[in-house]
Amino acid sequence: MAGNFWSILAGVPLTIALTFLAFAVGAIFGFPIWMMRMAKTRPVRLTATGFILAFRSIPPIVWLFLIFFGVGSGDISLSPFISAVIGMGLITAANMAEIYRGAYAGLDIGQTEAATALGIRTYHRFRDVIVPQMLRTALPSAVTFAIGLLKDTSIASLIGVQEVAFQVNALAQRTFTGFDIYVIAALIYVAISLPFAVIARWADLTLRLRVAR
Amino acid sequence: MTDIRVDSVSKRYGKHVVLDDINFRIKSGEVVAIIGPSGSGKSTLLRCINYLEPPNSGIIAVGDLQMDCEARPANTDLDRLRRTVGMVFQSFNLFPHLTVLRNVSLAQERVLKRPRKEADERSMELLRRVGLADKSEQYPSRCSGGQQQRIAIARALALDPKAMLFDEPTSALDPELGLEVLTVMRELAETGMTMIVVTHEMRFAENVSDRVIVMADGRIIEHGESAAIMRSPQTARTQQFLHAVRDR
Repeated sequence: MAGNFWSILAGVPLTIALTFLAFAVGAIFGFPIWMMRMAKTRPVRLTATGFILAFRSIPPIVWLFLIFFGVGSGDISLSPFISAVIGMGLITAANMAEIYRGAYAGLDIGQTEAATALGIRTYHRFRDVIVPQMLRTALPSAVTFAIGLLKDTSIASLIGVQEVAFQVNALAQRTFTGFDIYVIAALIYVAISLPFAVIARWADLTLRLRVAR
Repeated sequence: MTDIRVDSVSKRYGKHVVLDDINFRIKSGEVVAIIGPSGSGKSTLLRCINYLEPPNSGIIAVGDLQMDCEARPANTDLDRLRRTVGMVFQSFNLFPHLTVLRNVSLAQERVLKRPRKEADERSMELLRRVGLADKSEQYPSRCSGGQQQRIAIARALALDPKAMLFDEPTSALDPELGLEVLTVMRELAETGMTMIVVTHEMRFAENVSDRVIVMADGRIIEHGESAAIMRSPQTARTQQFLHAVRDR
């Protein structure tokens, strides 16, 4: 039993790495997509809307297959891990763009007006006034999404990323025992999510003290 | 000299006319109060002067900068306009994620390109002037409404504007806190700052401002020396408004 436990644990670093990288990709690329979504030019706006729609409504597993077997089997070869990071990252980007949009909509218009009246031009208005406040409002939804993402990374096992779910499946097939092993896997996922949730809650409270409404 | 000239300025939202052919001049160093019932266009007029709401037609001139409201404004003109004219809002609109000091310093660094140290020194000077030097490292949410509004005044003064616009600066405050803001404004008026103040504070309009503009339904219905208008208003609409305000 102990041996089984360790072999599942071996998948943890990949689960964490995949979650972390996909989230980083999404949090960064979500920005330009959000901005395109708000653009005055219609084609730009439509492109962003299309991207968001595609990556939010097509299931992750389909994207991973499309990227790994589709893109990755042509001239460019992508490892399962890289394919998963790209796929999950783009899905995260689409969702983060929507989270940013919500956070921006929730901002008091007076903030924009005050910065404008002070002669602060668009770039600095966003960098120094809008975005820092948006990130604080976006934090709870972003964390909720990140925890969902952590669980969704299990899908990457299907293209051969050897993370927690992959290890569990392999073990179950080797030993013909199901229940115990999956309980262990469940506990591992909970154990990884918990610190996320705790840190996020703490950050939310501390930041909220400053941006009191 | 930074005179302000508003020449046949109009503003519409769709078919709804908010400002209808507004004309007035303000000489450098004058304090003008704009009074009138809600929805009369007072705030919109103020926001048109610094182009927070671009007017549809007319001319806005501040010093030697002249804005033709029918043309698309050049960014350099907008920058100059906003550097020359500071604005204070009813709801303060301080930046909640920055300390009081950084609130006052931000525009100096971004607009005037002052180095941070120099900006912070100037900010401290201004915070001392509004009596809040001890709050410099606090966040705005830790300050009372009156303090927040005084910080907002310091923030607007940090760009060394030639004129200041006040949009109902005490309306969100209880009377006592309003008073500390009015005191700062009175001191500012005494330094010779050109000021346009949209207000419901009739004592301020009568005692501090040189002239009063009365607005109703998007038009100026009366305009003249403060004492004259407040004591013997000529139009029936002004009389009715002043009665309503004073009888409360």
